[in-house]
Amino acid sequence: MSEQCMKTKWVDYSKCIGCESCEAICKHMWGTSRIQMTQTEDGVMFPLYCHHCESPQCIKACPVGAIQKEEIGAVVHDPEVCRGCRAMACMEACPFGAIYHAGGVVPITKCDLCAERRQVGLGPACVEICPVEAIYWVDVAELPKLRTKEAMDRQKLVMSHIAAKRKKNKPKAPEDKK
Amino acid sequence: MFSTMNFGLFCGMPLEPNGYRVAIAGAGPAGLIAAGNLACRGYHVEVFDKMPRPGGLLQFGIPEYRIPTPRIEEAVDRLAEDYGVVFNLRTKVVGSLEDPAGPAHDEGDVFVTATRSLADLRRDFHAVLLSTGSWRSRRMNVPGENLDGVYSGLEYLFPLRAAHCQPDEVCPPDLARRKVVVIGAGLSAVDAAQTALLAGADQVSLFYRRTIAEAPAGMHEIKHLTAKGCAWYELAMPTAIRGADRVEGVEFVQCSLGEPDESGRRCPIPDKEHKQAVDADVVICAVGELPTLPDAAALDMKRTRKGGSRWPRMTMLDGVFAAGDCLTGPSKIGWALTGGLEAARSIRRWLRHVVRHP
Repeated sequence: MSEQCMKTKWVDYSKCIGCESCEAICKHMWGTSRIQMTQTEDGVMFPLYCHHCESPQCIKACPVGAIQKEEIGAVVHDPEVCRGCRAMACMEACPFGAIYHAGGVVPITKCDLCAERRQVGLGPACVEICPVEAIYWVDVAELPKLRTKEAMDRQKLVMSHIAAKRKKNKPKAPEDKK
Repeated sequence: MFSTMNFGLFCGMPLEPNGYRVAIAGAGPAGLIAAGNLACRGYHVEVFDKMPRPGGLLQFGIPEYRIPTPRIEEAVDRLAEDYGVVFNLRTKVVGSLEDPAGPAHDEGDVFVTATRSLADLRRDFHAVLLSTGSWRSRRMNVPGENLDGVYSGLEYLFPLRAAHCQPDEVCPPDLARRKVVVIGAGLSAVDAAQTALLAGADQVSLFYRRTIAEAPAGMHEIKHLTAKGCAWYELAMPTAIRGADRVEGVEFVQCSLGEPDESGRRCPIPDKEHKQAVDADVVICAVGELPTLPDAAALDMKRTRKGGSRWPRMTMLDGVFAAGDCLTGPSKIGWALTGGLEAARSIRRWLRHVVRHP
């Protein structure tokens, strides 16, 4: 599993206009959106999303191994293996607030880079619907090019918002928008 | 690494034609996503739009610094070339009943060269989706509103974008070295103020009758604007636009906040004692837009919104569906997409269960 062929998702928050298109298409595709909008106290809106990390904390946190990293890089959750534990440690563990309550027998859901679509040769839906080209599905090797100063400044703002929200909601996991 | 936007993202290639024909009025985000969704499943889709290019407010309302136009243009081309969606441009879908108030004039009507009646579409297609948006600017109803130099948010923003593709037909107002007052605190007001700043206006002021905390565009957008040099007047309610034959200034009263109104926001109460005025050469009233629908009375949107039909998003006219800003009033692109997708799903089910044979 060479790093060269690993693909991941990147959202350039400096381009994002908070229009909610990604959330809308994801909800249409999968019932519960796996990329969800959040809002700072100042009213800046942006989507929280799975970064398909190189060493994912959610995988380490899951006691039954229900989350795995695919060979091509996607971090996927297997509802068959997920026991629906009450602890939902994966949610707590994710630094990007990108694991969501699914509200069913299987309690969580997360982005799998549109696994079903990829099986038929299509790409992640949110990438194709973003009107401002803020969402990328890229080789990990290309990430450094995308991490512009503007993008990283906004990324920092987003991370501090997640941290503030975590602190406020403790011990609850970050809650959904609606 | 780069990928184009794709409203037909549901499939790689459309299915074989299934014989059903669907007309979509309005080529904004709601109409385009419904077109892509239906085309993927083999429906013959024709889109009607009054503007010279598809895209709706993505193309003509939202400034270039937010949404890059080429991306929208590529997405639309792809819908036509790869998914077989037929576009009928400069064609406005109109009602068949005479409006007692006379023919309505909405923003963008200057481009219309042909009309199709809703009744025609219902005859020629198995189903019709109305995603006609909200292109009628709300008025403040204050004296001086018709003076030269007073524009609505859309009247100001949309010629700028239209001039980009049809330079002979529209002439955007030049705001260089002007004193500009923008009224409102929604995203179109913010966009108008920022665009005026970029156009080299001498002075740009934003007037809002509530406070920054209630601003629909969000506190961040207002702060961003003031940091760029825009003056911010809150709790300021315009009472008149002054001028002999063109704009010379804006009169306003200071307000205080009272009890929450039906929108849940605290209501501004004007303090009649505190009348003030500022000078202005140009006033942009971006105080909201109203839905623009053909045959609005027959569609009965009030009942439609409450789910008055058995079929989600079907209006009170059989086989006519609605989605986007024309149903909900101005809102976000994501909401328009959700509406378009729900309508497409409902149309597919209705055709299968009720019309059955194409």
